[in-house]
Amino acid sequence: MARVALFDPCYLGALRPADAAHARRVLEALGDEVTLLDGRCCGQPAFNSGFRGEAKRVGRGLLKDARRHDVVVTASGSCTSMVTHYLPGLFDGSRGAAAGRIAGRFREFASYVAGHPNLERVALVLEGTVVYHDACHARRELGISAAVRGLLERVQGLEVRRLTFEDECCGFGGSFSVKLPEISAAMLTGKLDDVRQTGARVIVSTDFSCLAHLEAGARGLGVPLETWTVAELLSRALG
Amino acid sequence: MSTYHERAAKEMREERPSATVTPIMRKLIEDSATMLRRSPEDAKARAAAARMYAVDHLDGLHAQLRVQFQKRGIGYHRAAEPADAVRIVRELLGDAKRVAKSKTMVGEEVGLTHALRAAGIDVLETDIGEYIVDIEGRGPSHITAPALHLNRARIREMLARTGAELPDDDPVRLSRYVRDVVGEFFRDCDAGITGANAVVASSGRIMVVENEGNVSLGASHPKLHVAITGLEKVVADEDGALAILEVLAPSATAQPLTSFTHFLAEPDPGQQRHVVFVDHGRSAIAADERYREVLKCIRCGACMNGCPVYRAAGGLSYGSPYMGPIGAVVSPLLWRDGRYADLPYASSLCGRCTEVCPVGIPLHRMLLELRGDAVASHRAGSRKERVGWQAWAFAFSGATRARAATAFARISLRGAGRVLRPTGERDDPRLLPEPGPPARDPEMLRPRESQPRPVVVPVADIESEDPVELFKARAGALGVVVVEALEPAEGDRVLDAVAAIAATGSVLLTGEAAARRPILAARRVVVRVRVDTIVRYPSQVGAYLGTGDALILTGASRTADIEKQIVRGIHGSEELVVVLEPPASANPGR
Repeated sequence: MARVALFDPCYLGALRPADAAHARRVLEALGDEVTLLDGRCCGQPAFNSGFRGEAKRVGRGLLKDARRHDVVVTASGSCTSMVTHYLPGLFDGSRGAAAGRIAGRFREFASYVAGHPNLERVALVLEGTVVYHDACHARRELGISAAVRGLLERVQGLEVRRLTFEDECCGFGGSFSVKLPEISAAMLTGKLDDVRQTGARVIVSTDFSCLAHLEAGARGLGVPLETWTVAELLSRALG
Repeated sequence: MSTYHERAAKEMREERPSATVTPIMRKLIEDSATMLRRSPEDAKARAAAARMYAVDHLDGLHAQLRVQFQKRGIGYHRAAEPADAVRIVRELLGDAKRVAKSKTMVGEEVGLTHALRAAGIDVLETDIGEYIVDIEGRGPSHITAPALHLNRARIREMLARTGAELPDDDPVRLSRYVRDVVGEFFRDCDAGITGANAVVASSGRIMVVENEGNVSLGASHPKLHVAITGLEKVVADEDGALAILEVLAPSATAQPLTSFTHFLAEPDPGQQRHVVFVDHGRSAIAADERYREVLKCIRCGACMNGCPVYRAAGGLSYGSPYMGPIGAVVSPLLWRDGRYADLPYASSLCGRCTEVCPVGIPLHRMLLELRGDAVASHRAGSRKERVGWQAWAFAFSGATRARAATAFARISLRGAGRVLRPTGERDDPRLLPEPGPPARDPEMLRPRESQPRPVVVPVADIESEDPVELFKARAGALGVVVVEALEPAEGDRVLDAVAAIAATGSVLLTGEAAARRPILAARRVVVRVRVDTIVRYPSQVGAYLGTGDALILTGASRTADIEKQIVRGIHGSEELVVVLEPPASANPGR
């Protein structure tokens, strides 16, 4: 049994407050003792917009809270990537090194579960068909795509379809989706076309930010689509 | 100047570049990956190392190069700023009135064509794609495929503006029409201007790659050849240049190598040769730890081929000679007046650019750095946005405040998903997300029937352990006829290759055999290759390169400037025949 913190990222807390409960349920089924870490943000929204001072100020709070924990399971590939790859770089010298040590404890939820020693002991069953969206930061910054797909394939009764253009971005990109809305929407509709062609009506991803964007487009265009995080899918597969 | 957002929105509305560009790029990026897999496993690492060495030793390599150029009688020139480059080229051109220019990105960067025309010189863009976009008047939309944004019908319209009477828009017909105009100009023009892909410091040779044969004509201009390139394009030695070759064409155009790879040495008798190196802020970039790696760039364009933003809004939206992710990084660094400060925001930060870059430039991380710089220097981020982020930082730097803020967002967004669009614009197809536990319908887990999906047909891969068999297969795939014996015919140009490259189906010619104009003029080019001189990869051909003029031929002269459709036989014969001959020991008579 491991003691872990579950970091519930700010946007997930705002938009999908039930998701943290799904993640907690899965971790507890694996035998982990879970402490919720919420009310924090990794600083990525400001960082990606170029506002580094603001990002640092916000990210510092997260690192401070994370100090007490050995493992911080994070329900977002994008936030994990921000913390592990970029946040320490905002601090100088010894503070940077200290930030790096804390940041090294962050693990993306799905890949953490995929590598969990107790995974074998947990029965995962869900009848149905979904399509997997490979979030850019999970794929390229964290390199966890294969592990996550492997995890989904463990779910009995579940067919996981793949997109034809799996490596293409959904067009979210944080403030990009508002600053360059025409381009963002064009990328989104391309992705939705790809989703539609698979026949699947449930899309699963490590990252709710992409899913929220896909859902925003699907509802705007009247495309029937449910968006599930990996945490929700696994929680439902526990029965 | 307009913003990137304004230009992109207008371009998408009026030109719909994505319809032409996206299908082409989806295939190209797959084919590039296939081509790169044919290269040695360490090809990217060696190319990156060769480029990094150059960036780390710019001054030393240039000092070495000056000496080598002097020995070979090649003029060495250095321009601090674009205006200096233009002045130097004008002086070198002397009283030349008609000048044939081939593709050079640095030429675009310094505004060479425009400046020379303003000075009364008749400049012809001789690359087919450049010729077309020159008529359109909006510049190239891609660094290796300038007219990518135009489909064949639009290209026919462009050519008609100059009086061309073309019965249809067949890419073969359109390409050959431009070829003939260019060929005619080359008969009596006064000088040739080209770019350079790498300049070898240890030997003073200039490497230039091309497909059509217009560089062959420009570089062999009987009186004057001027090459213009970036300060960073120097490499230590031939091995470095060959390492770049192994990844350049595969990444750029999914070709094993371009039709022609020139290693230009001393000028021909009666000819002058000069190289102009443009700094334009490159020295400053080399001194900046955060950005110096961008100087490793070999201008292959893979980052824009893979970029979803480039595909959606096209290359012209960037408003810079350098477009796509590399353009978004390098433009604000070269032009330091802030005019391109918003380009680093033209990215969703998906990281595809970094993934496909063959020399390992962390492009998306540089975009993030540049955004930070733009905000710090007040070149990006409106007053309103600054205040917004400050308020955000206040709210999210304390857990209690952050919980309150997320709760507030939850409440204020409730019901928003039914009516509100993120930008408030009616034509935004998106609705704001609806907070709260999502509705779930078990039926949704039952799929609909899948629909026919687009299939990207990959290039056929041919493998063989035997270099001779591999050479036959790869050369054959490029349309080269490989035979064991051949009756020469009238008009044949029969040449002996010093080596051949199996993986790329190429032949290497040196010295007299590399003379370009007779090769282009021949009805058919016949190259004799001794089978014991066939190496596997370009990087192994160094021992055969000699010390003078060298030319690697990879298939016949061709273009793919119109909708990426390959048209063979541009400047030069469509027919390239290779005659395989037994090893030297078995044929002592030759």
